Amino acid sequence: MSDATTLLVVKDLATTFATPQGPLPAVGGVSFTLNENETLGIVGESGSGKTVLSRTIMGLQPRRNVEVSGSVLLNGFEVVGASEQAKRAIWGLEVAMVFQDPMTSLNPVMRVGKQIDEILRVRLGMDRHAAKARAIELLELVGIPSPAERYSVYPGELSGGMRQRVVIATALAGSPKLLLADEPTTGLDVTIQAQILNLLQSVKDRMSMSVVLVTHDLGVVATRTSRIIVMYAGRIVEMGSTRDVFARHRMPYTRALLEGSPKVSNPSHTRLLAIPGRPPNLLSLPRGCAFAPRCSFATDICRNERPELEPSLEDGHTFACWNPLPVSQGVPA
Amino acid sequence: MSDTTQPLLRVRDLTVTFGAHRKKLSAVAGVSFDIYEGETLGLVGESGCGKSTTGRALMRIVEPTSGSIELEGVELTTTSGKALRNLRTRMQMIFQDPISSLNPRRRVKDIVAEPLDCWKSVESDERTSLVNDLLNKVGIDPEIYGNRYARQFSGGQCQRISIARSLAMRPKLLICDEMVSALDVSVQAQILNLLEDLKIEYGLTLLFIAHDLAVVKNVSDRVAVMYLGKICEIGPADTLYDDPEHPYTKFLLGAALEADPDSPVHGEVLTGEPPSPMNPPSGCRFRTRCPNATEKCAAEEPQLVDIAPGHQVACHYPLSTLIRREPAA
Amino acid sequence: MYVAEVVEEHHDRPERKRRLGILFWICVGWIGLNIIGAIFANVLPLENPLFQNYTAVNAGPSLHHLFGTDDLGRDIFARIVYGSRVSIEVSLGAMLIGFGLGAPLGMLAAYRRGKFDSILTAVMYVFLAFPAIIATIAVLSFWTPRSLLKIIIVVGIASVPLVYRVIRSATMNFASRDFVIAAKVQGATDRRILVKELLPNIAPVGVSFLLIGIATVVTLEGALAFLGLSVNPPTPSWGNMINESLSILQVNPWLAIFPSLAMCLFLLSLNFIGDRLRAHFEVSEAKL
Repeated sequence: MSDATTLLVVKDLATTFATPQGPLPAVGGVSFTLNENETLGIVGESGSGKTVLSRTIMGLQPRRNVEVSGSVLLNGFEVVGASEQAKRAIWGLEVAMVFQDPMTSLNPVMRVGKQIDEILRVRLGMDRHAAKARAIELLELVGIPSPAERYSVYPGELSGGMRQRVVIATALAGSPKLLLADEPTTGLDVTIQAQILNLLQSVKDRMSMSVVLVTHDLGVVATRTSRIIVMYAGRIVEMGSTRDVFARHRMPYTRALLEGSPKVSNPSHTRLLAIPGRPPNLLSLPRGCAFAPRCSFATDICRNERPELEPSLEDGHTFACWNPLPVSQGVPA
Repeated sequence: MSDTTQPLLRVRDLTVTFGAHRKKLSAVAGVSFDIYEGETLGLVGESGCGKSTTGRALMRIVEPTSGSIELEGVELTTTSGKALRNLRTRMQMIFQDPISSLNPRRRVKDIVAEPLDCWKSVESDERTSLVNDLLNKVGIDPEIYGNRYARQFSGGQCQRISIARSLAMRPKLLICDEMVSALDVSVQAQILNLLEDLKIEYGLTLLFIAHDLAVVKNVSDRVAVMYLGKICEIGPADTLYDDPEHPYTKFLLGAALEADPDSPVHGEVLTGEPPSPMNPPSGCRFRTRCPNATEKCAAEEPQLVDIAPGHQVACHYPLSTLIRREPAA
Repeated sequence: MYVAEVVEEHHDRPERKRRLGILFWICVGWIGLNIIGAIFANVLPLENPLFQNYTAVNAGPSLHHLFGTDDLGRDIFARIVYGSRVSIEVSLGAMLIGFGLGAPLGMLAAYRRGKFDSILTAVMYVFLAFPAIIATIAVLSFWTPRSLLKIIIVVGIASVPLVYRVIRSATMNFASRDFVIAAKVQGATDRRILVKELLPNIAPVGVSFLLIGIATVVTLEGALAFLGLSVNPPTPSWGNMINESLSILQVNPWLAIFPSLAMCLFLLSLNFIGDRLRAHFEVSEAKL
């Protein structure tokens, strides 16, 4: 396991937006690594910074009004501070991204096949026929029935699930080593969600990719990731193997997330663990731990000093908390 | 929980069809169920199944094409005009998008008092105290927030305000249309707990419409599963989830993403896409994706029949009967 | 865009009142001054705008004649003040008709939809297809003798389809939102919904458009004056005066400058006010 090649190294990454109301630290001090063939889940609610993080890793932040500091080493290529030209060279070929809404990810007035073709012809230099053949192959890979016919349809003629498959096909066209998926199944039907997630998994295995799944839904990451990162107010609050984080979480926010969502396996009318308050205003973060105002275990030190991530324990499980939950309490009901 | 007395709401063969001539879309194609006083009926299904349309048809936001809706014995489909307006106080609805549910240019206390103002039923002092009471009940401090505009609140707070507004006239039935779908996980839990508490305090009956299986189970006493405009199965929440009878229910449950790394990953995933509601399959609407379908399913549409007390299913081959028919290994 | 989402997400303090700015109030003051001048022209210490003083023809600005005189010896300053009456009366009067008819129809059509909306909108769009200016010119040419009232009526009716369209689309934007359905579901009458729920929301658009409309009509009066279709001389109007000034530009630039300046400042102020109001209300919209 430790011999696995490191694909992505993120170090002290911070993204701050300049707003009329002042600087907004959407992401602050995030560090983690990702190996080849790994699936990493990034979990958080709105305002946690997960989407900003994924876009920053991809290098999609505009230059104006945004300050990015730290380092993102993708296969040796430094994304932070790279020129637009340099980034374009790796987009699609080394790293690709799948966004939430397939309808806006696809050009509504361009045929589906042509959108896949584009990468093949422009970036990989294939000729028309080779590109079309490969595009149809890709459509088949993502499970679209009658791919040769579907090659010529417009996105509007496809259902939500189908469109998302096309988006995935487009992302895979350049055979990237890393796929960033930002809420890829939110908004899709439950049965379609399952299909798409299974698809991502099978495609990942076939093409030896690493996948980063960004989502607010713990159910999405539970069985499909090997490691997860829990984010709150722009920072990592807990990180480790999926099993560890689910079964032996230490940070109270992680517990709130896990036990705050109803489970199909629980009987009806189970009282949910509801923590008061809302995610904090990033413009005026409290001193100390951002979660302290909502935490039932908060003490003085929590309110005054922000906890850093503990040095990695067994198997890379780490958390940022002054009063972590005792290990035994993390066992699920 | 359910008395043998008359149900509070009785729906029979409700249909809602949009469009005309050849382009008819039957969003709701003959739906029947009862809701008893004090219970919560969950209505679950994927997009396009007609659950939201059913809720709107009950509220007469969308006009039912045919069928009967009886609220406390009064037939709603034939009521109109002033009489219908009068009935509005008995049934209320909470919508999915918390922000667009509130008029951005009105103050919170006016929004909550609006039902009272419509009916001019209270004096000014009483009005203020009623509004303050409602706001307190939903966890919004009227002193601090009462004068603010609706647009200054977060999604969770907006939903609380919507709930307060809907309770102003003490309705008997509350229809919740995807009311927590747009909220964060941690806020969802707050709102769901709040709903449970208010249900008991105000003696409400709920129709909870949602696509999230876990949320529906958590809130409901009984659950109805819809597919393409029809109810496939309806029964007590725990029983339905543990031992589903309809194959679609089973697939739906199998696809539910549990927040548990050790939960079995169901290999059998429902394939294909739902058929178009404009052109539904003959007979059983689920047969095109059902692994157990036979010619009978294409020829004859299954009706909702009792398979156990309080548990009905619309299927020619309910799952419990199939297991019995399996040959010994 | 998604930066806005991150910011708006957490908003708990009462919103800071967006300042309208000192320039805004200066403009409001200017318009107010014009209106007061127009109303009280009779009692203000002005020269008689119709008195032709042949001893002081085409005179430059002086203490006696603040803006000078025109080629008939009439005091320009007084004529500008009296002339503002025409601009203000025409624009307000026309907008009264335009909004008085167009706005309620637009709101009702957008709220009711159905046949009423389809037919009415079709009719309005047919009228919109006619170039309004040409129609106005045609009608005014034939409907003699001309009077201020007739101009107001013609321009007013010509503006109805446009007001209808703007108000209708603004109303449609809000009529489909959940809070309107919620109001209906609470048992509110249609009238109550239109007044209490919809009107406050479309008022910003309406006011903005009203100001633009006023500015447009003031300009239109100038255009009509060039064609000789504004009020009959010797009644002063800004358009008339500018029109008259063209032939004596070499001799008396003041007759061209001052009325133009008056019209310009009036229009600029209106536009600025409309713009600031729109920005002010849009900020609130963004939080939706």
